[in-house]
Amino acid sequence: MNLAIRPILSALVRNRTGAILVALQIAIALAVLVNAVFMVKQRVEKIGRPTGLDVENIFVVASTGFARDFDHSAALHEDLAYVRGIPGVIGAIATNAVPLSGGGMASGITPRPGGSNSGYPFEWGDGNYFEVDEQGLKALGARLVEGRYFRADEIQPAPSNPGEAGFPPGVIVTRAYAAKLFPDGHALGRTVYDFLSRPAKIIGILDTLHGSWPSLDHPDRVYLIPRLPTAPRAIYLIRTEPGRRDAIMRQVEEHLSASNARRAIRWVRSLADFKAESYLRDHNMGIFLITVTTLLLAISALGIFGLATFNVNTRTRQIGTRRAVGARRFDIVSYFMTENWLITSCGVLLGCVLALGVGYWLSQQYKLPRLDLYYLIGGVLGLWVLGLLAAWQPARRAARISPAVATRTV
Amino acid sequence: MFGYYVRLAVRSFRRAPGLTALMVMAIAVGIGVCVVSLTVFHAMSGNPIWWKNDRLFAVTMDSYDPVLPANPIHPELPPEQLTHRDAMYLRASKIPERSVVMYRSTGVLVANGTRSTPLSASTRITTTDFFKMFDVPFEYGGAWGKAADETLDPVIVLSDKTNAKLFGGANSVGRTVLWNDHEFRIIGVLAPWHPRPRYYDLNNGSFEPPEDSYMPWVAGPGLKQVSAGSTNCWKSEKMITYEDFLNSECVWIQMWVELPDATSRARMQTLLDSYWAHERGAGRFPRPRNNRLTKVDQWLVEQGVVPNDNRVLVGLAFAFLAVCLINTVGLLLAKFLNAAPTAGIRRALGASRRALFAQHLVEVGAIAMAGAALGLAIGALGLYAVRILYTTNDPNGGGYQELAHFDATSIVWAALLAVVAALVAGLYPAWRIGRVEPAVYLKNQ
Repeated sequence: MNLAIRPILSALVRNRTGAILVALQIAIALAVLVNAVFMVKQRVEKIGRPTGLDVENIFVVASTGFARDFDHSAALHEDLAYVRGIPGVIGAIATNAVPLSGGGMASGITPRPGGSNSGYPFEWGDGNYFEVDEQGLKALGARLVEGRYFRADEIQPAPSNPGEAGFPPGVIVTRAYAAKLFPDGHALGRTVYDFLSRPAKIIGILDTLHGSWPSLDHPDRVYLIPRLPTAPRAIYLIRTEPGRRDAIMRQVEEHLSASNARRAIRWVRSLADFKAESYLRDHNMGIFLITVTTLLLAISALGIFGLATFNVNTRTRQIGTRRAVGARRFDIVSYFMTENWLITSCGVLLGCVLALGVGYWLSQQYKLPRLDLYYLIGGVLGLWVLGLLAAWQPARRAARISPAVATRTV
Repeated sequence: MFGYYVRLAVRSFRRAPGLTALMVMAIAVGIGVCVVSLTVFHAMSGNPIWWKNDRLFAVTMDSYDPVLPANPIHPELPPEQLTHRDAMYLRASKIPERSVVMYRSTGVLVANGTRSTPLSASTRITTTDFFKMFDVPFEYGGAWGKAADETLDPVIVLSDKTNAKLFGGANSVGRTVLWNDHEFRIIGVLAPWHPRPRYYDLNNGSFEPPEDSYMPWVAGPGLKQVSAGSTNCWKSEKMITYEDFLNSECVWIQMWVELPDATSRARMQTLLDSYWAHERGAGRFPRPRNNRLTKVDQWLVEQGVVPNDNRVLVGLAFAFLAVCLINTVGLLLAKFLNAAPTAGIRRALGASRRALFAQHLVEVGAIAMAGAALGLAIGALGLYAVRILYTTNDPNGGGYQELAHFDATSIVWAALLAVVAALVAGLYPAWRIGRVEPAVYLKNQ
């Protein structure tokens, strides 16, 4: 093999344009492949994060009272009683916002009094809250890991306007939010304060619960308030047994739309629908990246194949001559494969530089994480294999050229 | 001569149909992918009111938290909305030719006297200048007068879609509707109108359709309507009543002004700054002075209307096109040099280098044109696929997928890219083949 590389190199240097073009293609392909796969992996991870919700079996109903004599509390009572009585419903609550929907309410809580003057650092989305009653855990499908859940007698009545809402004596926070509020790890039983420095005890800690804004870096800094939602709006969040969601959804929509003429049912949608919509851009970005990258690899492979075929065609006589003076078929195959491997390697080398450059630029420009080097190694191996596969058929064809060709004129 | 070159090109294609198809495909796929990403990017980054770009300004003042900036990614920007008290002070100014304060709210709309089901609808609570300032077209009737901005006169303007839902598209001016159980008289109906992006209020999605109805400013606070867009509060202050909320440091109102010349712009800026200084003296505005009048184009950039993903995709599309073109150069070179003996004979028979160059350029041009045509078809197919990918079950959606429409821009892009492709891919191989030494090939024969 060592002996073979020098003539291959000198032949390459003499006919360099084609080789340079293939190497360039491979370089760009590597840079795109590595960065695209890295980005797709991030999106897949983002979409796959556990939400703490039984997403597939929950649906949501938005009800708005609009008549001037609309009795909000009575409507909540009546609607919840109806929904909870349907066979197949595991739990139902009236709340203030839809998790994973992109719209919600946040009011940060602090480990010391003083609100915005407490010096406690807020981040956007901290303190995303949901109003729940005693069925909250069952309706969300969330898991309590410490402390206890709210009792029915702790649920505060529905305020008639936002200003009337007080701060309850006890709240439940997610593990992630607890860790942010109390980095020492002992959040249960500690006191937190709302923006008006009103105190509340943390009585329970949830494993996790994603809030309203999945696009945030920390969508899980969420807490629960034991209260019915403020008039005149309510979001009913209803969890069903697996497989019964759609049927119950239709039944509930039909009933609630007609049961109270003083309110309107704005929409009835599955939670999975909201989740899909919130992650639509990430999902589609993944599809675009995969599609274009696949096309790119296919085009590059065809390019390598085309050029190798051309090289074989132009050297038919030369190959015949080599065969006539004693070269085995294996020698011919290894000649073309080595030549191709050399070109691919040059491209891969250049591609590494390009991939790192693009990765660095993306991380600077768009605040994406830095490229993981394992992806680069994977990409290099992948392109080597691709290059060899693309050259395999032309090399085999070259090996089948008969030694007799040498004696003929073209 | 041209006809002869075309015949030669056709003959050359016939000799190697596989290779030709490969080249056409490479160019077509490259152009197709670029057309898709550029069409969407172009639609997203457009300025839907470019003809007024020098006159319309978003008014913003940094009234926010001294510790946490309103926009953590761009801490240098003030919040994109104003507090109620600041908006009320600024709207009284006579400096702007027109000025608008507004917010979006939601409620329930019923056509009065009919048994139709209540319609969940959005409304824009705004001042009458909104319609003239943003060139909003009317189908029936018109906007309310200035007086309705000051004293409660329950009038409402419906969008074309809402009018179609409630009145089957008939002229409904003069009829009444119930908005949250309050009677409103219809004073106008809009013609179809959907600026993309919805620059004047980028809350609730930049490409979502405009509101279902419009009502005079006083009907908002007058009926204690809250914003359905974002309301951001940072200060620890008691808010028990709606009046407390109006007087709070919460930002929730959008404000735009029309300033026709540099003088009025300077005067407006001075007004903002002197008002800021006065209020700061009274203990407000804890952050450094940051009062802005922002033109539409700059506003769209600052507010990040085009997602970074789309920039990455345009870059990716061009990297892809580059690979396709490099590929084509390689294949063309291989093909031309394969036919070098013929070229050598033509040179020996007296064809000039320029003639050979022209002949091969015709061949390349034909490939590029075929590639562009096929690329356009691939682009249209790709845009169709993008639309399907962005279709959701959201009843109020319909913003984003509308951007992926095959239009004149797509065709211009494809044509432009085809020329670039032909030049990039064809120049070197055509030039190279013109340089062959006829003697070498004559000897060999």
